[in-house]
Amino acid sequence: MAPSNIVSIRELSKVYQQGEINVTALNRISLDIQTGEFLALMGPSGSGKSTLLHILAGIDRPTGGTCHVQGIDLAQLNESDLADWRNQNVGFVFQTFNLIPVLTAFENVELPLLLTQMSGRHRRQQVSTALALVGLDDRQHHLPRQLSGGQEQRVAIARALVTDPSLVVADEPTGNLDSHSAQEVLTILQSLSRTAGKTVIMVTHDPKAAAYGSRSVHLEKGELADS
Amino acid sequence: MTTLTFITKNALRNKRRALLCILSVAVSLFLLVTLLVALREVTVPPEDIGAALRVVVRNKISFTNPLPARQRAVIERIPGVAAVSPFSWFGGKYKNEEMMTFGQFAMDPKLIRPIFGEAKMPEEQYQAFEADQTACIIGKLTAEKYQLKIGDRLPLTSIIYPCSIELKIAGIYEGTIDDRNALFHHKYLDEAGGSDGWVGMWWVKVRSIEEMPRVTDSINRAFANSSAEVRAETERAFQLSFVSMWGNIKILVHSICSVVVFTLMLVTASTMSMAIRERFRELAVLKALGFRRRELFAFILAESFGLAAVGAVLGIGAAWVFYTQISIAKLTQGIFITFEVTPKIIGQAALVAASLGIVASIAPSIAVARTSVVDGLRTLD
Repeated sequence: MAPSNIVSIRELSKVYQQGEINVTALNRISLDIQTGEFLALMGPSGSGKSTLLHILAGIDRPTGGTCHVQGIDLAQLNESDLADWRNQNVGFVFQTFNLIPVLTAFENVELPLLLTQMSGRHRRQQVSTALALVGLDDRQHHLPRQLSGGQEQRVAIARALVTDPSLVVADEPTGNLDSHSAQEVLTILQSLSRTAGKTVIMVTHDPKAAAYGSRSVHLEKGELADS
Repeated sequence: MTTLTFITKNALRNKRRALLCILSVAVSLFLLVTLLVALREVTVPPEDIGAALRVVVRNKISFTNPLPARQRAVIERIPGVAAVSPFSWFGGKYKNEEMMTFGQFAMDPKLIRPIFGEAKMPEEQYQAFEADQTACIIGKLTAEKYQLKIGDRLPLTSIIYPCSIELKIAGIYEGTIDDRNALFHHKYLDEAGGSDGWVGMWWVKVRSIEEMPRVTDSINRAFANSSAEVRAETERAFQLSFVSMWGNIKILVHSICSVVVFTLMLVTASTMSMAIRERFRELAVLKALGFRRRELFAFILAESFGLAAVGAVLGIGAAWVFYTQISIAKLTQGIFITFEVTPKIIGQAALVAASLGIVASIAPSIAVARTSVVDGLRTLD
């Protein structure tokens, strides 16, 4: 594995069993992703791009092949270690934002830090910094329902960044946003890669969104089409 | 934000449902405490302060069989005996009442104070009672219930003796554990009802607690193999022998308690299941963020436990306040006397609430643990 690769996938397969039928979501994929890259995973529905994202983010397990992230073979980690690893190394951005509706923007961003040993003061500083990074320091005490879609997604990005992970995964982050908000979110993700050196992997249908990335990878029927 | 803040916000996210769940726990625990207190009152009758020194002597065959009056002299001679009084249940109905609503007992009027020292009454009333053979004294509860006062007449028709008597109220006592009974001269009963030569029971006052076992044993042996063998026992043991007749009531109350607890468990478990099911996606997000199964289980357990605990504080607290503040004897017309919410009962109800909180969290926790992050994220809101 090259030292500059944060992700190294070899012969990766994922087969789902639906009753007596086996459905192949990923078929022997090999892929390297460099540190600091902004990779767009593209492809039609059912091509396996979300499955690939889930596996390299450590929330799903492959049925074949290997997936090394930061040199760690994720298949070798048990559930508990994998949870710790996700908390420390991966930031998640979802299409539907997935903020906790009863928590304010500040509390939503603070949530992953509850698992750390950080002091309350340090935590608050970290959250404020993350919210400032996405331009929402004036919306700290707003509940998700009091924010626009774009603002909600920016809170979700702040939540993904607050633990200072090396890998940010985004599953159709602009799918529920208007074009202006989508542009704002994509700009933030791009700057994370360019200025903060984070590796961003984004699943998207939209070629315009993919254009913000440094590289695009196309999946079709569970296989890499080109790269 | 602390973990506790997070749990509290989650528990109260649907305020109406949380409130209804808390109220259902509170009402059920109030009912449970009430049943347990009622059961205790029935099965463990309240005890007078002086009960420890009193011995009840009854016919060995049954307490409905009388004893010969001549036994008194024999009992009085037993070392350690301080006083002996006949004690005969008259079984009288007051005026035209269908049922007996208070007990009437014939006894030696001079021995009320030595034997039942806890009955408080002015000295002149004691003297008036002792001086007049047709006089009686009644408990404060009965006096209040029938609005009786000193000087009033108390007509009683016995279901045991073939007679009716009319007593004159000479005093109203209070301070016993059951201020309902009427006490009158045994001599009057002897002359009016043909019970001459027989008594219902003997009530004996013993000098000291140390002498109790020996005195009861001596009384039992004194009449062994006679035509009227006796059974002498402490007042407590005598009361408990009545309780043994309540066997079916105990089973019934226990059954109702079990149904209450079971229903409560269903309600709480259902509430928790609903609350967790609609947050499946959020819990999957928490898992993705790095929360482990045990932490999610702790959240669910704390939420369930918290709701049950608040319900328990309200329900048990309300029962305690209610039964401490009101006069249960007045409310139940003397059926229950003390109705004490004891620490043991509070502990039992709290234990039920705690178990409830734990049991209600098990099913949702298992469901959350079994669901993968990916499946959880696919769950519709």
